[in-house]
Amino acid sequence: MLMPPFELHQPKSVSEACAIAKELILAGDEFDWIAGGTDLIPNYKWHINSKPHVISLAGIDGLSEISMTEIGCMARLHDIAESQDVHPIVSDAASKVASSLIRRNATLGGNLCLDTRCFWFNQTEEWRSSIDWCHKCDCGTGADCRVIPNQNELCVATYQGDIAPTLMVLDASVHLIGPDGIRVMPLVEFYKLDGMTRNVLQPGEFMLKITLPDDAADWTGSYRKLRVRDSWDFPEAGAAAAWKKGDRSTLRVATTALESIPRRHDTEVAESNGDVKAICDAVYKSTKPVNNTSLPPRYRRNMIKVLIKRACEE
Amino acid sequence: MSKDYVQQAGMNKDVRVDGKRVAGKLRFNPPGSGGSRPEMAERDLEFIPELEGGNEPQPAGAHLHDGLRTGTTVGKRTPLVDANAKVTGQAWYGDDIRLPNEIIGRIVRSPYHYAKVKSIDTTKAEELPGVIAVSTGVDAPSKFGVLPVTKDEHAMAVEKVRHVGDLVACVAAIDEETARQAAALIEVEYEVLDAIHDPKKGLLDVDEPIHWRGPYHIGSTNVQKRVFQEFGDRESLEDTTKAFHNGKWKFMGVNHGFTEPHAVVAHWDSNGRLQLYTPQQVPHYAHRALATVLEVPMHQINVIRTYVGGGFGGKSDPFPHEMCAAILARKAGRPVRITFDREEVFWVNRGRHPSHIEVKINANDDAKISGFEIDALIDGGGFASFGHVTSYYNGVLATAPYELGSFHYTGARVWTNKPASGAMRGHGAVNTRCAIEVGLDDIAEKLQVDPIDLRLANLLPPHSKTITGFRITSNGMRQALERVREGSNWDEKFRKLPVGKGIGIGCGFFISGSGLPIHWDPHNFPHATVHLQIDMDGGVTVHTGAADIGQGSSTAVAQVVAEVLALPLEMVHVRSHESDTSPVDLGSYSSRVTFMNANAAIGAALEIREKLLNAAGEMLDLPPEKLVLNDRRIYFKKDPTIGVSYLEALHKSQEDIGALIASGAYRTPPMGGVHKGAAAGLAPAYSFSAYVAEVEVDVDTGLIKCTDVWAAHDCGKALNPLAVEGQIIGSCHMGLGQVLSEQMVYGRTGHLQNPNFLEYKIPSVHEMPNVTPIIIESCDPEGPFGAKEAGEGPLLPILPAVVNAVYDAIGVRVNDLPLTPDKVWAAINKKMKREKIDDARDLPVPRLDFSELQKKLVKRSAEHKIRDARRQRREDEGPYLNGVLFGLDPTLPPEEQDETWKISVKPDSSQLDNLGLAGTAWTKKEQRHMEGGK
Repeated sequence: MLMPPFELHQPKSVSEACAIAKELILAGDEFDWIAGGTDLIPNYKWHINSKPHVISLAGIDGLSEISMTEIGCMARLHDIAESQDVHPIVSDAASKVASSLIRRNATLGGNLCLDTRCFWFNQTEEWRSSIDWCHKCDCGTGADCRVIPNQNELCVATYQGDIAPTLMVLDASVHLIGPDGIRVMPLVEFYKLDGMTRNVLQPGEFMLKITLPDDAADWTGSYRKLRVRDSWDFPEAGAAAAWKKGDRSTLRVATTALESIPRRHDTEVAESNGDVKAICDAVYKSTKPVNNTSLPPRYRRNMIKVLIKRACEE
Repeated sequence: MSKDYVQQAGMNKDVRVDGKRVAGKLRFNPPGSGGSRPEMAERDLEFIPELEGGNEPQPAGAHLHDGLRTGTTVGKRTPLVDANAKVTGQAWYGDDIRLPNEIIGRIVRSPYHYAKVKSIDTTKAEELPGVIAVSTGVDAPSKFGVLPVTKDEHAMAVEKVRHVGDLVACVAAIDEETARQAAALIEVEYEVLDAIHDPKKGLLDVDEPIHWRGPYHIGSTNVQKRVFQEFGDRESLEDTTKAFHNGKWKFMGVNHGFTEPHAVVAHWDSNGRLQLYTPQQVPHYAHRALATVLEVPMHQINVIRTYVGGGFGGKSDPFPHEMCAAILARKAGRPVRITFDREEVFWVNRGRHPSHIEVKINANDDAKISGFEIDALIDGGGFASFGHVTSYYNGVLATAPYELGSFHYTGARVWTNKPASGAMRGHGAVNTRCAIEVGLDDIAEKLQVDPIDLRLANLLPPHSKTITGFRITSNGMRQALERVREGSNWDEKFRKLPVGKGIGIGCGFFISGSGLPIHWDPHNFPHATVHLQIDMDGGVTVHTGAADIGQGSSTAVAQVVAEVLALPLEMVHVRSHESDTSPVDLGSYSSRVTFMNANAAIGAALEIREKLLNAAGEMLDLPPEKLVLNDRRIYFKKDPTIGVSYLEALHKSQEDIGALIASGAYRTPPMGGVHKGAAAGLAPAYSFSAYVAEVEVDVDTGLIKCTDVWAAHDCGKALNPLAVEGQIIGSCHMGLGQVLSEQMVYGRTGHLQNPNFLEYKIPSVHEMPNVTPIIIESCDPEGPFGAKEAGEGPLLPILPAVVNAVYDAIGVRVNDLPLTPDKVWAAINKKMKREKIDDARDLPVPRLDFSELQKKLVKRSAEHKIRDARRQRREDEGPYLNGVLFGLDPTLPPEEQDETWKISVKPDSSQLDNLGLAGTAWTKKEQRHMEGGK
């Protein structure tokens, strides 16, 4: 398998990275950011949305901070999983991502910005040609969405990151940087319900770090992941729950791998008055997975009830 | 005795203890004469049979090869001879071959399931700088296929493409990038045809069948092969049935998932001969097919088998890409290398058939199995491959280890527009075996008996014949069942575990080498031939064509030669890679290699042994039969001090003729019935296995975790217990994949949705249970030192053992493999609704309250145990035909004693209305029997 050729840029600082990005944008050149590469490179090998330029963040110092209240975008999942300083829900979720080999390379930023997935999309170019192309990938072809046919607008590819829901229930904020400066926003506002745009990142912007509230250490909870194999597999569904120790009224619940974005279920939790079964039912009702991962959507939707129940166990 | 060099331990010992070689003091260089350690090792009595004066127990009695045992290596845990090359990265796999001036080949594949190729325009590709050669189907019009009766493949499409990924054209260019660009520039005009994906639709008449077989075509359907077999007494079934099981199964297709993707390098050398490097399980059949397609005589082709990075049946067809590489290389005048992406591996497939199988089992008042009725519709994909054989195996390999009152099988293999199915570890037997063993579990439950006792009381004995006439020799089924029962603490666990935990049993039966070669052969060519050659350096070179695909066949053959000649394994060198230097061997399929090739090797080694003993006898003035071979020395049985070194004897016998050369061959004995299809499933020996699996089921999610497996396999004699255990554990892993997570998923549009190792879910190390391998040694009378196969049979029992364990855990049977969590959850959920239960932990799980029959079974199996032990030791040599359990005279064929005993291979007209799904293929006529037949 050969990747299409691209030019690799290796800035040494954040400002240099932003300058390169700005230059490429001005020149009208498309590019991708690369951190650990465990998501991007397999996609490139399958000729999925490859770009002529790639800017690597690997050479920039100071992006790998790991602490209870701050994690840099280049922090390796292995280090997060092994760290005693990180919140245990986050390190647990990190330890469940893919395989030990992949975690050595994969980064927090990459996991949060993970491309959405779909079994009509994550295929080789030759394969995609046999289905007359994919809406998310082969944009020039006018291809339809194969999951929900006869609509040429929405992409329903699934977000299958593990760590986002755990950071959401801990109320993490995300720090983005780009040619126009720094933006900070709650992680729950970072994602955009569209399998193609996925998040609010503007051209030239990349994720710098995430921060957690100062009282993060006072919170407890857990992350539950549904997968067929205890290695390699992306979540088929995932649920995180957290509450301030001794105060169940603070309960927050978030899910992943059910839609194009991870989602925190504040409305469902509020309406259920903290009753876990009611929360499960409410999330079940408000979530509609589609048939584009390895397990059928009806099952994944039902499993979210089990996962939330287990995540909420004290 | 030599006066110059005394080797015997105890004599002049102090002269040479330091291992120094003193110039001029030795007649010959050290290798082979004792090396730097001149003392002879003591005979290892632990590995010499007790009847030959050693300590190795022989519960099964004497074996033909006992006298050849020297205690050198047979029975010892031996690392594989090619292990060093593999762990140090020096083994050369298909894609490791780099010839000077090579160019890269790339295949153009069909994007359509089924289409006529109207035209192919290669102009643009040919004009692309860097492109050296382009080829299409017109360059190779001859058909090929692994079975001569069903040659239906072309190197590249001629007229039609039959599945997405089917080969259309190929290009060779200076590098991969150029080759890919060129492939994209080839313009193909297709006329898309109506594709078939559901094998059930393959039974129907269509306008454009995927292949056309002329007068032999069955109607205008897509039925490639149909089988009907009826044996025994079905008349009495309805009156005597006490328990009846009917299981309808769906099995998804699975792929071998070997590590090394297919790769080939073709090169026409300076003499115009083709040198083809390929990781092949059957280099000989590839050799034949290449000769046909390339239209050159076989002797102008040298097939070089590279190291094989896993085969499992998936590299046992001659492949179109091998032809493509050869054609491109011929056109280009340069070596061409083609390496597959994983996706291409899935497109060439040859994995296990997706199947719809229905099994009906009747048991009578005595808990005897009075009827097996099997109907198997198997989805062959676009080509025949091994399908002709698979169609039979799905039925006939279910005829043992149990004694049956009747056997009825209807099978059909249909073409569909998918990648071709073929042979995969446990070829054809795995799915039906699963259905049957689960059926027996159900029968045991209905009779309220223990399923292990049910099996123990219905086994065929050693040295018997199955209902369809297979000759069973050694049979360790009983010991296997007893050992797993004991090892797993079965009696304390079965039907006694809490909800969510379960334990289950499954058995297996498999051929140890197929009785007939694939190519029908009027000359009775041997199945395996081995040449040995020993030159004056004392090293033994073994020439064999047996393909070591990781299963350890080279080690096995080296071991038996080393054993017979009493030489260290390091002195035996196996040369098996090239067809130029190897005698013909039919290949590594149907678990034939150890049995046949090691037997051939023993024959050759025996010849050398005789020459050495004669020479030594002459030197010592003793008759050869009074001499003993042990560790590079030949000596007088009664006085070990009187002897010669191996090298001395060797040189003595070389004096007149130079290098010692010998050849051994193996042919199967004549056997089997005369009915049509009698040869399918015939084997010179059969392996038996029994597994107990323990599982935990998460009742909320349906996720299954197999925690422990006790795996007993009767391999006759473990030549190398390390390798046998490896095969057992590996089989567990592979079978576990099929039962829990592996499946080739064809989506709504018929496309293979998961042609990659992320979504095609092979179990990881986390899913692997603790496997306790248990080796049963029934000592096969015709096997090399008693050995039988261990490569495929051990896979069979894991599937039913897990399925039965899941039932024990949750009280629901799921007949749809793999048991993915969604299916298990849905089944649990359905049952909860039916039983009006809210919490899955309250699920009622089966419990066992023994019926009266249980005692009867225990008594019968105790009697049979004595019977079997006597027959195994040949204390009772009387004939035993299937049917004795039902009161038939073992000395007469059943059909002569019982007028209702049927032997039939074609349904009569009255049966046509009552056939199973696959059986309906018999309602169609062949074209030649149709009006206006073509």
